[in-house]
Amino acid sequence: MSNIQNEMRAVAKELLESGKATVVLGWEKGTMPYDSTPVMIRSAADVDKLIWDEYCLQNLSTYLIDFINSEDKVAIFAKGCDTRAYNRLVHDKRINPENSIVIGVPCSGMKNPKVAAKTPAGAEVPMANACKECRYPNPVACDQKIGSDVTPWCTAKDFSDVEAIEAMDADAKAAFWKEQYSKCIRCYACRNICPACNCTNCIFDQSASGWCSKDVNASENQFYGVTRAFHVAGRCIECGQCEAVCPSDVPIMLMNKKFIKDIDTLFGNYEAGLVTEGTTPLNSYQVADPEEFM
Amino acid sequence: MKTVEKAKLDGFLGQLAQKYSVLVPVDYNGLTQFAPYSQVQEGVSKLYLDGNVTVSPKTVYLPQSEAMYKFRAQGKKLAIEEMPAMDKQQVVFGVRHCDTKAIQCLDKVFLDEKFEDPQYKEKRENTIVFSLACNNPKATCFCESMGVDRAHAEASVADVQVYEFGDTYGFVAVSDKGKACLDAVSGLGEAADKLPDQKPQEVKFDPSELPAKLKGMFEDPIWDEYSFKCLNCGTCTYVCPTCHCFDINNKIRGEVGMKMRTWDSCMFAEYTLMAGGHQPRQGKKERVRNRFLHKLQYFNEKHDMFLCIGCGRCVAKCPVNLDITKFIKQVIG
Amino acid sequence: MKTASASDVLKINNLVPKVGVLKEILDETPDVKTFRISTPEGERPFTPMPGQLGMYSMPAIGEAMFSVTNYGEDYIDMSIKKYNDGVLTSVLHGLEIGQEVGIRGPYGNGFPIEQFKGKDIVFVAGGIGLAPVRSLILYCMRNREDFGKLTIIYGGRSKEDLCFKDDLFENWPKVPNTEVFVTIDRPQEGWDGHVGFVPDYVKEIAPNAQIAAVCGPPILIKLTLPILSQMGLPDEDIITTLELRMKCGIGKCGRCNIGSCYVCLDGPVFSQAQLNDMPKEY
Repeated sequence: MSNIQNEMRAVAKELLESGKATVVLGWEKGTMPYDSTPVMIRSAADVDKLIWDEYCLQNLSTYLIDFINSEDKVAIFAKGCDTRAYNRLVHDKRINPENSIVIGVPCSGMKNPKVAAKTPAGAEVPMANACKECRYPNPVACDQKIGSDVTPWCTAKDFSDVEAIEAMDADAKAAFWKEQYSKCIRCYACRNICPACNCTNCIFDQSASGWCSKDVNASENQFYGVTRAFHVAGRCIECGQCEAVCPSDVPIMLMNKKFIKDIDTLFGNYEAGLVTEGTTPLNSYQVADPEEFM
Repeated sequence: MKTVEKAKLDGFLGQLAQKYSVLVPVDYNGLTQFAPYSQVQEGVSKLYLDGNVTVSPKTVYLPQSEAMYKFRAQGKKLAIEEMPAMDKQQVVFGVRHCDTKAIQCLDKVFLDEKFEDPQYKEKRENTIVFSLACNNPKATCFCESMGVDRAHAEASVADVQVYEFGDTYGFVAVSDKGKACLDAVSGLGEAADKLPDQKPQEVKFDPSELPAKLKGMFEDPIWDEYSFKCLNCGTCTYVCPTCHCFDINNKIRGEVGMKMRTWDSCMFAEYTLMAGGHQPRQGKKERVRNRFLHKLQYFNEKHDMFLCIGCGRCVAKCPVNLDITKFIKQVIG
Repeated sequence: MKTASASDVLKINNLVPKVGVLKEILDETPDVKTFRISTPEGERPFTPMPGQLGMYSMPAIGEAMFSVTNYGEDYIDMSIKKYNDGVLTSVLHGLEIGQEVGIRGPYGNGFPIEQFKGKDIVFVAGGIGLAPVRSLILYCMRNREDFGKLTIIYGGRSKEDLCFKDDLFENWPKVPNTEVFVTIDRPQEGWDGHVGFVPDYVKEIAPNAQIAAVCGPPILIKLTLPILSQMGLPDEDIITTLELRMKCGIGKCGRCNIGSCYVCLDGPVFSQAQLNDMPKEY
């Protein structure tokens, strides 16, 4: 880890000193040992703030949205999932690939900060949920790379958790999701951290439209959750950030994974965020597409 | 002081529940919050006393969604009907000292002499608060720096002071309401008054110069430095025990409707967006600045106290670890 | 910072509106209507001071704050501009006489009447901004002997967009020691009055006033205040009104703050001296 950290600092220093980048986005140590948090570096003198450890969970690609019309040249460090997010954002035309530099960092999986918060110091902390199922620990596209590629620990998607829900009868499913979404406080952290949730004007920010009430209850919350899941379907890059930041521990990825499973079943295996152009399963039509619902 | 063995707490709460609506801190599928004790009795939630809850007891007085009045709009006719009064006194068990201080902040806003809020006031007057002292603060706690007395809960809020000693709880009534409530419970033990051992807090600073310092910092570059990573989600404001901003909106079924008061957040764009499109607080910088200044300067100018009581919830729950204590320490210098 | 004291505002303990009835609806301009509201018992819903606000609602649609432009024995008048993206104002503009609506107030500090007494006053307004200023003008005219010379400078986008035409062209010019100047933004057939923007017109007229009340779109306020300063008016006597999104009207819901002030409670009327001390966030 410390080798990568040293390389990060060296790369950042070179980019800033040479003027190839005016801003470097990386991670710095946060409040708790399990908090590694985004940092914006504008001066080569500050590169020693940069760290690389097992809690650099947060994807930095979404911050490029703030720079879309900026004069800045922005370098970001990106893990495998972060490069998929980057591709997704380029695909959605929400970030500018011309003013960004992606420095790929192979990742061995991050630890679960929520579990760490409840674990006595020194005890073993498990991998973050999304990382356990990661198939792309190495950057899928980047301008330059540091460290050496790691061997992926998963090769196939694991839908066992989705299948467990599918096996329930309709009443049990309804009760399960009602219970989970009655915890939602509608802080929208899941939406705001999501690289696929990048609309300039979200329907949930238009309360006067009457689409969704600000009244927080299981029904309105599920409307929010399901709508969001539909909207990121085919675009979710499985980083699991939504679930990781949820203050109420709603199993948001379970719903996203259900859509991923259905897309794979209906339209053939699909991996979001591997390319930056072309069609995706849910925004294209082929004569052979299944349509048994018609 | 009166005492109850921890193992017999259920019996104690059960007795209270016969006379009052009892709210307790619970763990409901991973979300800790205050909920009716009946949920614990029914096994829906587990009693949670290991630390402070994620969703603060402001929900007791200012629920996330609350009906304000009913209306019927039929053609040109309009009828408005106020909500019924509370039918029972309620007990809130296990409110931490920081959160009693937070309720004192809310009192400044909602019990303001010019415009009292009758729905808030009704709940305040009909609630008996059992306030539990913390023996083991978390690494994110900084209540002492914000003026919270760790030995004694805020006197204008607490009715019964609760201390934790090994395998017992000690109760000291600190108001007439609290005394009447304790007197109604049978089977309590007696012990000499004493204070528990409390571990010191790790985060310490003196914020007294903050309001004056911040007054000259509206255009300071520090706001860019701190706000860039903010997601503008509402987590900090929703877990905050003193954030009290709300929206007013409708729930309508045909001709009958309910006016609802729902939490709102200064982090959201819609919060300040005017009809016609004017947006006085454009983005992250303006919104983070307004929230921090409201807590650490503006509220002081109006009410001579901070609107932050040091519970550390925002520090622990912010998705991007935007830490207000780091900001405070940097400003103090 | 001056905050509203208990005597400044009538004590209202409630966010729950009363029922009001629309007694009259007047078309002021193509997009401004004045709504005359009484209680179902035929009484005045509340007694506002000049510049104070009322929360007007169709409960099933929404609720918004408007200034009370005038009141009589048994009514209050609110003049409201329709915004195409405003759901509530669009609905309000479609209402008919006899409609029951929600009404609560009065809110806000209102104009500092005592400060205006005995002084020559210039009133500057643009568009719907005349509505709050008009409440003060009418107060001064009802208590004419308490105030000095009244100079009213008002402008609209076009002839049709001028509000309160009867007052501007008939009623007010007849009031003793009162002058009314009206302008429109661009030349127009059938208009032989002044053409040009309000701030320029203020400069041109250079009224000899000791205190000013200014209200209109943000750009009008922004350009007019420095002109009044240049004319030698002290910051304390340059009085304007601000508008921000509001929900509760009583300083609790949070959104209309500028620094530690709430526009609904400590405003909407502020002096230039007060604005100087406030963050520029409005």
